[in-house]
Amino acid sequence: MRFVRYLQHWLSGTGARLQVTDFVPVMHPIRQWADTFPWAALVRALEQSFDTRFPTQSPRGRRPVPIRVLLALELLKHELGGSDEEICQRLRTDFAVMYACGLREYQVNPAQAHFVLPETLCEFRRRIDEALMDELIAIQAATAMEEGLVSPAHLVIDTFPSEQGSQRVTDATTLYKAQKKR
Amino acid sequence: MRGFGRSCRGHGQVFVKLVRQTEQQLLALGEPIPTFGLQAQERLAHTIPLSDAQHQRLSLALTTAMSNHEHIRKQSQRLTSGKKLSHFKVVNAYDPTIAPIVKGKSNCPAQFGRKPGIVSDPASGFLFANLVPQGNPSDPSYVLPLIDKVQSAIERVHTGPKRRIHSVAGELGINDPTLRQALHERGILTVGIPKTIAPIEVHPSAQDILDILNEAGLNRIRTPYQVHLACASGYSRPVVESHIASLLSRGAGQGRYKGLEGAVVQQGMTVMAHNGAVLVRIHHKQLSKRAQKFRRLLGLRSPKVNEINHQRN
Repeated sequence: MRFVRYLQHWLSGTGARLQVTDFVPVMHPIRQWADTFPWAALVRALEQSFDTRFPTQSPRGRRPVPIRVLLALELLKHELGGSDEEICQRLRTDFAVMYACGLREYQVNPAQAHFVLPETLCEFRRRIDEALMDELIAIQAATAMEEGLVSPAHLVIDTFPSEQGSQRVTDATTLYKAQKKR
Repeated sequence: MRGFGRSCRGHGQVFVKLVRQTEQQLLALGEPIPTFGLQAQERLAHTIPLSDAQHQRLSLALTTAMSNHEHIRKQSQRLTSGKKLSHFKVVNAYDPTIAPIVKGKSNCPAQFGRKPGIVSDPASGFLFANLVPQGNPSDPSYVLPLIDKVQSAIERVHTGPKRRIHSVAGELGINDPTLRQALHERGILTVGIPKTIAPIEVHPSAQDILDILNEAGLNRIRTPYQVHLACASGYSRPVVESHIASLLSRGAGQGRYKGLEGAVVQQGMTVMAHNGAVLVRIHHKQLSKRAQKFRRLLGLRSPKVNEINHQRN
């Protein structure tokens, strides 16, 4: 029921296709940021890793959310400093976020790529391991080097502390979890 | 009793008698936990409605919790009787990979978490690699794995001239003779790693350059020009703090995902998001004058602003 309620926004008919690029100016910070990533190479690396480690068991079921969308959402989450819920909500309403996720057309339809549940983003994260994460960073660095933007000739190394955040248990979160499990 | 962190964290006054009494009470209270754990395992095995995956996940979580409990019990008994620990200290029952961070903030209780390492370009702040190790290892142990990661990124570049690492700079903490030797063997200058607290010479004389090259055994491998740039890079080493500040502003200072795997993903995504912002700054030439000069000396081109939105993807 929760899922249907989440999607009811999208289930009421279709309309004309809108070009997302028409609504996101060229100088928009998110557009500029998104254009720096070698998305095709990153998505290829993720797909190869996932296909090897998590082979598809059955061809049945809903079509999966594109990896491009999930990766962009995860990166945007860190760039914009939001939570999973916030960034997934923004995907439905913010054209700049749609642009960053590689969605070039917007239409009121129930297409899977246009909405992502926070749980899906969590599942996507769980599939990324250290080797894959290193590969993604290496792809980004190699692309920047190929374009002549950065050079690895002289490097600086340092460390910094990263405190483990604690998840505070409140009545609201306990109630939420209990309702979810029911 | 063992204290954590620096002396500036306080006088470290610990009420030994009170701690020992409390510890006895807590240990007595936790005495039946292993029995409860075994009972829980038995019940879990006979619970039918759960799927295999759920069974596996729950039994793994239970086993981890039980082993951690045993470890915490032992370390508590040793520490309160004034004995040193033979192995690592568990500071979080749910995640044994967390360790006290000695280099954390001053004037506050010791932080518990991880100590990620980064390797960056001093001119622009682009991060070539990061490393999130388990626990809190020494700073020199970060250098070679990070260099290996940068090397693997370099091997992915197929166009243009062959890229090489000429020098590495770092703080006094990574000053280690063995590490210097290993870097010299790879043809990397270590002039940017200080040996004392004195600042590194920005404009070394011809004799100094010759001495540096001879000491590293890189006389015919590295040029005096590269030594000049390495010295400038070492002198500008504190700029790395601004790169760290940029990561912290993106939430890298607090681990929000679970376990070491979660920390790796969080730090990695933060690094990629930061790199995206750095590339935007490079495209817009929003770099400091020193960074612009450094880029000119390295022969890096400035991109045309109009090309930023080309359809690469």
